[in-house]
Amino acid sequence: MASSSKTSAPTTPAPASSAAASSASSFRQRPWVRWGAPLLLVVGLAVLPLVMTESANDTLARIGVFAVAVLGLNVVMGYTGQVSLGQIFFLGLGAYVTAYGVQSGWNIGLVFVLTCFIPAVVGLLVALAAARLGGLAIAMVTIALPIVGVPLAKRLSEFTGGSQGLSARFVAAPEGSGLYDDQWQLYIVLVIGGIVFLLTYFLVRGKYGRAFAIVKGNENVASSMGISPYRYKVLAFTIASLIGGVSGFLYMVVVQYTSPETMSFGHSIELLVAMVIGGAGSIVGSLLGGVFYVVVPDITNAIDPSLTALLQGALLLAVLFVLPGGLVSLPRAVMRGLRRSSTGRGSAAPPTTPSSTSGSGTAAEPTETERQGSA
Amino acid sequence: MNRHFGSRQAVGIAAVSALALTLTACGGGRDSGRSGDAAEGAPSPGITDDSVTLGITTPLSGATAGPGTCTVAGVTAYFGMKNAEGGVEFGDGQTRTVEIEALDDTYDPQQAAANYDSLKDDVFAMTAGLGTPTNRAWREAAIADEVPQALIMTGDPLFSDTEESPWQLGFVPIYQNEGEAFGELLASSSEEHRVAILSQNDDFGAGYVEGFKSAVEGADNIEIVEELTYEATDTSVDAQITQLAASDADVFFNAMSVTPLVISALQQAQQLNWLPNWFLPSNTSSPGAILQPGGADAFPGIYSVSFSKAPQSPAFAEDEDVQTYLSALAEYGNYPDPPAFPHCQWSWMVGATLEQAFMEMEEPTRDSFMEALRSIEDFQAPLMLEGTAVTTSEDGQPAVSTLNVQKYNGTGYDTVESFE
Amino acid sequence: MTLLELEDVTASYGPVQVLDGVSLSVPDNGAFGILGANGAGKTTTLRAISGAVRTSGRIVFDGKDISGLRPDQVAALGIAHVPEGRGSFGDLTVRENLRVGAYLRKDRKGIDEDIDYCLDLFPNLQDRIRSNASALSGGEQQMLAVARAIMSKPRMLLLDEASLGLAPSTAKNVYDAIRRLRDESGIAMVVVEQNANLAFTVVDSATVLETGRSVLTGTSAELKGMDEIRRAYLGG
Repeated sequence: MASSSKTSAPTTPAPASSAAASSASSFRQRPWVRWGAPLLLVVGLAVLPLVMTESANDTLARIGVFAVAVLGLNVVMGYTGQVSLGQIFFLGLGAYVTAYGVQSGWNIGLVFVLTCFIPAVVGLLVALAAARLGGLAIAMVTIALPIVGVPLAKRLSEFTGGSQGLSARFVAAPEGSGLYDDQWQLYIVLVIGGIVFLLTYFLVRGKYGRAFAIVKGNENVASSMGISPYRYKVLAFTIASLIGGVSGFLYMVVVQYTSPETMSFGHSIELLVAMVIGGAGSIVGSLLGGVFYVVVPDITNAIDPSLTALLQGALLLAVLFVLPGGLVSLPRAVMRGLRRSSTGRGSAAPPTTPSSTSGSGTAAEPTETERQGSA
Repeated sequence: MNRHFGSRQAVGIAAVSALALTLTACGGGRDSGRSGDAAEGAPSPGITDDSVTLGITTPLSGATAGPGTCTVAGVTAYFGMKNAEGGVEFGDGQTRTVEIEALDDTYDPQQAAANYDSLKDDVFAMTAGLGTPTNRAWREAAIADEVPQALIMTGDPLFSDTEESPWQLGFVPIYQNEGEAFGELLASSSEEHRVAILSQNDDFGAGYVEGFKSAVEGADNIEIVEELTYEATDTSVDAQITQLAASDADVFFNAMSVTPLVISALQQAQQLNWLPNWFLPSNTSSPGAILQPGGADAFPGIYSVSFSKAPQSPAFAEDEDVQTYLSALAEYGNYPDPPAFPHCQWSWMVGATLEQAFMEMEEPTRDSFMEALRSIEDFQAPLMLEGTAVTTSEDGQPAVSTLNVQKYNGTGYDTVESFE
Repeated sequence: MTLLELEDVTASYGPVQVLDGVSLSVPDNGAFGILGANGAGKTTTLRAISGAVRTSGRIVFDGKDISGLRPDQVAALGIAHVPEGRGSFGDLTVRENLRVGAYLRKDRKGIDEDIDYCLDLFPNLQDRIRSNASALSGGEQQMLAVARAIMSKPRMLLLDEASLGLAPSTAKNVYDAIRRLRDESGIAMVVVEQNANLAFTVVDSATVLETGRSVLTGTSAELKGMDEIRRAYLGG
């Protein structure tokens, strides 16, 4: 699977703390650019909910929910290379924990902690068993999660409300804030989702991320480097489950209702599709995956509600055909196309070969300057 | 060209334009796009002097697309026919055409809620959508927004509780209604009966059993001799059938929603030579798909419940209702084939019931609509069986709560008045 | 001083017994060779040491019994395995691959020095430092694999068929560098090599395996002299 966190890094507005100095980029080294651009983005996001329509806010909030879910999937699949078909189960589990906690009148902070903790523990236990099996066996075990989860949710009706599900409207805008509920919900999604994205960004850029990439690249070599593939697979799966749980919390913030259908197997596949379409092994790709997951059904509904499945399938094929690296590779593909058309035949080759720009999900020291090649 | 430089710049530009957008949009007032409180008596969204728009969110793709498509087709066909005749005359004196805007939710609650969000400002009322979770997902939002969620297709009693659900009303009978109808028939029997019960271990099964028990409570001639459950995920109920057969009950109340399990239960009972009278829920009593493969002829009686005429049945081939319905469904409902699911008929009845409400509502407001909708008494909608009717004024009951018990005749069903 | 000792080690892949009582002892400096014909169990012996196959018998490294440890645990003790077929990270540049090798190390300065040392040892890599590993030639990939193992600052290096699939001149380059490493680094080495002539350019002593059993051990000089044995086991 092509992945590209490396090249997505520059578009992520986090402090480029360890970026290698590049002689050609004095512009971005000026403090006002380095700090100003991310700051502007934050300000922009802070103001956006106030000025958009209610329906746009709702859509954006749902994008946030599923972007977080896709991000979790990316940690285990895009970055660590382990096929997981069970991510929706952890979203569902998080949603149920949230709904149950809220209905039982627990402190919302405690509910949030449990929403992280319980899916993480379940993920850990599953991973301890599954990661030992390796290869396709992990995929098989993870398939079982949503398949078992749906009937389990129906059966444990004491906690889950059975097939009628659970409602929890717990995020009304605080009195006196002057905010509408949809604005308040979007703020919660932006803040929690933003923190999860930022932490994940640092995770995959750091030492653990490098270990994930090594395990993904070659388990035998990983072992010979002293990196236990088993341990890092378990770690990645646990983190993915935790992030899935957080997305379940956000799901309850936005949708405010969960039922066994929330975690049906089809959605797990849709999440996987969203991850691939957005860009596997990419932070920005996760965001685009969330956009894809949410916006495409709305678009196809607008075109012809009786043909949604067909249209979505066609769109999926079209994107994968044109952009095998996912939507996140679009700017690069456009740049390459421009470069190809502007540099006539016989002129110098482009500075980077395609294979060198479609990096793996490795988070080794940023070496952007090296990748610029000898241009 | 430095690629790194370029993308930084792009972020900057994006941020600046976001800010610019902010500044310009701020001038437009901050509640742009939100449905404000309308003045008393002013028209609600989705209704003008000559048309009214209804919204539907229902599964149009995925596993439940078949019934879901029917929920749109029936009501669309009904109002397509009415529009062609000039429209519906409303209680406020205006004649309006009725438009339907349907969206696919793939039976996903999240998508259903999103569909509702996108429809709620453009439609006068939401209606006819199929599914318990998909309707529950936006029930509370509809209450908060005061948008009618009228005549939806779910057997969940919550939607028929006026206190809990002031802007909702379910259309089809709740599970309890079905169990109750059969229980009442059984209790009226002149003979003594020993009943065995097997139910799905969830709210579906529990609802049937609850309804049945409430109807036979206090009936001296009914004794429940054995009661077992199974899980919806079970692949076999042979063990339960064997145990129930040993009870030698003469009536078997079988609240089961899984088609293959029903077929194998019918076969297993025959193998054990246990041949009771058998009750099945309306959604697992199809003659062609279940009873014939299960060899149901072997049993003295297979009972189920219904409130709508079956267009496929020879008994209704000449029925005027059925003929009008089938031709409208093909012409206006974009549904050329004979409907495979009863939801098409139900949706047609929803259209007729909505028309009743429209004719009574005195103001073009959602309030007035709900009031009119809740005061329909004993309305015999087209395609309804003799003895069933729409009554919306009864708290705790869906629009249709009366059912006819029917008995399998080898090819279809006949309504029965008494047991045996 | 003996750094690594194998005592009567056996291993099997399913029903097939591949090692049938291998015993050998590797000194704590210089290079030790494992020679033998195809299928004699050379590679399996390395895999047994690095924990990649289940074994019985004793494997003692630096006084500690390491049999039964996982590969990553063995690696963490300072045994770096350069497997047959190299296995570099094609999507990463040469420099990134080297940094991967230093994953467990914390001494940033030492890492930079060792990178410089590796590039000095393998000047070909210096020229390709910004290339993706997948773009390297076979010889360069072999060099990268050795260099990456060096980056983990091991006490012992396990080299498996470093000449496999390489042109003779390239293979010689690789072994020249390995000899230099042996002399300069103080890292103990176990060298598995089918080409005995190449092997004898680096190893000080060696054992000869035949069908999973060590049949003969001696210094390079002793072994080189035994013409019959050379013909029988070393392919001439």
